Amino acid sequence: MSDRAYEPNPWELLPRAEELRQRWLEHDWQLIREGPRPPEMHMALDEVLTYEVGRGARPATLRIWEWTQNAVILGRFQSVRNEVDPDGAAKHGVKVVRRITGGGAMFTEPQNAITYSLYAPESLVKGLSFVDSYAFMDDWVLEALRSMGVEAVYKPINDISSAQGKIGGAAQTRRGGAVLHHVMAAYDMNPATMLEVLRIGREKLSDKGSTSANKRVTPLREQTQMPRSAVLDRLVETFDRRYGLTEGAITAAELEAAERLARDKFLSDDWLYLLP
Amino acid sequence: MASHGEYKTPGGKLVVVDLVVDDGRLQNVEVSGDFFLEPPEALTDIVRALEGAPAAASEAELAQRIQEQLRPDAELIGFDAASVAVAVRRAVTDGRPRERA
Repeated sequence: MSDRAYEPNPWELLPRAEELRQRWLEHDWQLIREGPRPPEMHMALDEVLTYEVGRGARPATLRIWEWTQNAVILGRFQSVRNEVDPDGAAKHGVKVVRRITGGGAMFTEPQNAITYSLYAPESLVKGLSFVDSYAFMDDWVLEALRSMGVEAVYKPINDISSAQGKIGGAAQTRRGGAVLHHVMAAYDMNPATMLEVLRIGREKLSDKGSTSANKRVTPLREQTQMPRSAVLDRLVETFDRRYGLTEGAITAAELEAAERLARDKFLSDDWLYLLP
Repeated sequence: MASHGEYKTPGGKLVVVDLVVDDGRLQNVEVSGDFFLEPPEALTDIVRALEGAPAAASEAELAQRIQEQLRPDAELIGFDAASVAVAVRRAVTDGRPRERA
């Protein structure tokens, strides 16, 4: 906890803010924290687990991601050609995948990324605007980051930020009776590599201002001076203390569905080049 | 000749339009960007509204066409019909050819 005073986020000023806070306690949250998976499996697991939570087959879940390889994760509505430099991507062994949520492209290297997803029944965000529900879903993250000395704030619509710069970005969608909220934050970064892989850093900076990937990012390693695993531990501990968390796992059926979806959808050119 | 237009909304989201002007009409329209849109299929409504529109259509006319085609439950987050219209006008009036990868 920090004794610094923070501006409240808009949802905290709603008359029902307290009721909204209580909603988190209505769920038996499950934690999935497992070994690394390839990018297309993370995309597929997000889709599968969202629908499983939506139909009541799985409890509300927090999933921490680990990565097997460098990746660019494109937003649902982004054009591959406008965002990715194919030569840079090939040079750095980057797999390009498209996620099911909107927002901007993120470049990640396995040990530099802090990535997680929340899957909850849509009732958690019922009545909240899309914009308000971003800060609402990451309220616990702001507390965790502040406890590590990061003066974290939410910058609407979907940026987690501090005075030192952008930390990460969230993306959200409501599907099949559930809300999916996932966040990609920078634990560390390699700006030179990023600029070779993503076009935005280079071409749109001059006259278009900043975009998601090139807003001045100050990674958490620098801001916390903590090892990556300790930062992840703190996120999990904070969530557990506030809302309760039971360790769980992806079921065999979920894994099989995700593997099928990864192969048939997320690795397909039809999906990747939906917007060429 | 393919044209490319971009508009950054005041909230910081980028709207990108790629199109071809053929016989005074917008063709092969593609709308992309780092915005949010629910349901995602509503993107086809926006494209349908622009496909075949007169290249001379004003920003207001383009925005109205989009508004009319959007399904009633569509939610545009971080952008709106007017911001797409701005990107279209930029593509038509000063769009550089799309860079080939």
